[in-house]
Amino acid sequence: MIVGQPEFVENPENRCPVILLVDTSGSMAGGPIEALNEGLKTFRETVLEDEQASLRVDVAIVGFGPVELVQDFVTIDQLNPPQLVANGLTPMGEAISFALDLLESRKVTYRANGIQYYRPWVFLITDGAPNPGSPWQQAAQRVQMAEQQRKLSFFAVGVQGADMNTLSQVAPPARPPLMLNGLDFKSMFLWLSDSMVRVSSSTVGGDMVALPPVGWGQITT
Amino acid sequence: MTWKAIVHSAMGTRHEQRGQPCQDYGNYRIEGAYLLGAVADGAGSAKRAEVGAKIAVESALEAIAQELTRSFSIPLHGPTVPSYEEIEAIAPALFTTVFEEVLTALHREAHEQDHDLRDLGCTLLVLLATPDWVAAMQIGDGFIVLRSGEAESYQLLFEPDKGEFINETVFVTTEGAIDYMDVGVQPCKSPFLCAATDGLERVAIRLQDWEPFTPFFKPFEACLTQLPDQQDRQDYLKTFLESERLNSKTDDDKTMLACLYDRDKQEGL
Repeated sequence: MIVGQPEFVENPENRCPVILLVDTSGSMAGGPIEALNEGLKTFRETVLEDEQASLRVDVAIVGFGPVELVQDFVTIDQLNPPQLVANGLTPMGEAISFALDLLESRKVTYRANGIQYYRPWVFLITDGAPNPGSPWQQAAQRVQMAEQQRKLSFFAVGVQGADMNTLSQVAPPARPPLMLNGLDFKSMFLWLSDSMVRVSSSTVGGDMVALPPVGWGQITT
Repeated sequence: MTWKAIVHSAMGTRHEQRGQPCQDYGNYRIEGAYLLGAVADGAGSAKRAEVGAKIAVESALEAIAQELTRSFSIPLHGPTVPSYEEIEAIAPALFTTVFEEVLTALHREAHEQDHDLRDLGCTLLVLLATPDWVAAMQIGDGFIVLRSGEAESYQLLFEPDKGEFINETVFVTTEGAIDYMDVGVQPCKSPFLCAATDGLERVAIRLQDWEPFTPFFKPFEACLTQLPDQQDRQDYLKTFLESERLNSKTDDDKTMLACLYDRDKQEGL
């Protein structure tokens, strides 16, 4: 007696959303923005090495000189890293709010399509201080609230010249901002891709995923 | 005796790569007209999850057998089984006791081996079935699918108990886990039952509307009805769970318990 084999239902891949929220103001021009662009390529290439992660890690890139959706959510296998250009001021508060809204609308899309998802990451990179008048305190409040409700994981990274004091008020207390070593974006993105691969392959006990050690930055106090 | 059951746990490829043991476990007992079954998925973050899963399953099976007789005066090998109405009335109390016994067993192990209770964290799905009804409980993710011999389609008993994010669930050891315990009782003639850990969810359940995927479940039913030899039935499940074809779809540990009450056999057809 021969019994046939079970067939599989086709479900969409789980998604692991991450927003890169990058300062593209004028002060990033030259070395910093070049290193950042190179870092983005490294990020893509490294995640691509893990087939499952490349289908699951869902990345969006928001620039702020003016706030701009440089890259809407796309899985890594579909990502063509953009060439970021530095100009303008630092509307950090507006940019954070924009990113949080973008994330909420992405979740609506996931839910409408029966896609399961991991806790999103928002990764802020800046070398400056918010514009005077930028509503960064309100944005910080939203970040803190979302973190408290475990709705997302927020990371803040300062590049030389960053106002670490402001950043430490934006970042959740449990995850203080990190100061990037020089312009070592490459190591930072390698760490991010490694972390994303770990998160996107995790099953249960999500917040217990052990992240790799941070070798690319320092906690400043 | 016309219950037939198969159970197997297979290690996920991701666990293999990381040198972790298989942290899933499942087992069953056939006692007279009753089928008792349980599966558990040890928390990836728990250090001794494989121990926790095994203790949870074995203590749940023992507790349910004991408790039916002790508290509800239902002998496992008695001449009659309770009606659907009777089991529906006692199921919440029965499974609450089962949960408490499991937790006690885990506490004991944690104490004896000097583990933290959380190191034994696992999900737990428990089945109690007769030829006429199915009673079940679930804490955490995984799924129970059933089909009455009289029904066309498969039915998911509980929607998976997930938080917003896929990698977060409740474990038996989670504080207040009892509040997350689903208990259900269903009339079900000659049931086919399948309990599995979440490693199989993506291939067996359409996540958009939580519909069990018929072509996934049918072959297991065919296996149970058509393969005359228990070893062949068991091998069928083992081969499937360890297959490359399945591992390309899921890298997690996976456990499946499939059971069928074959009324035809009883009537000698």
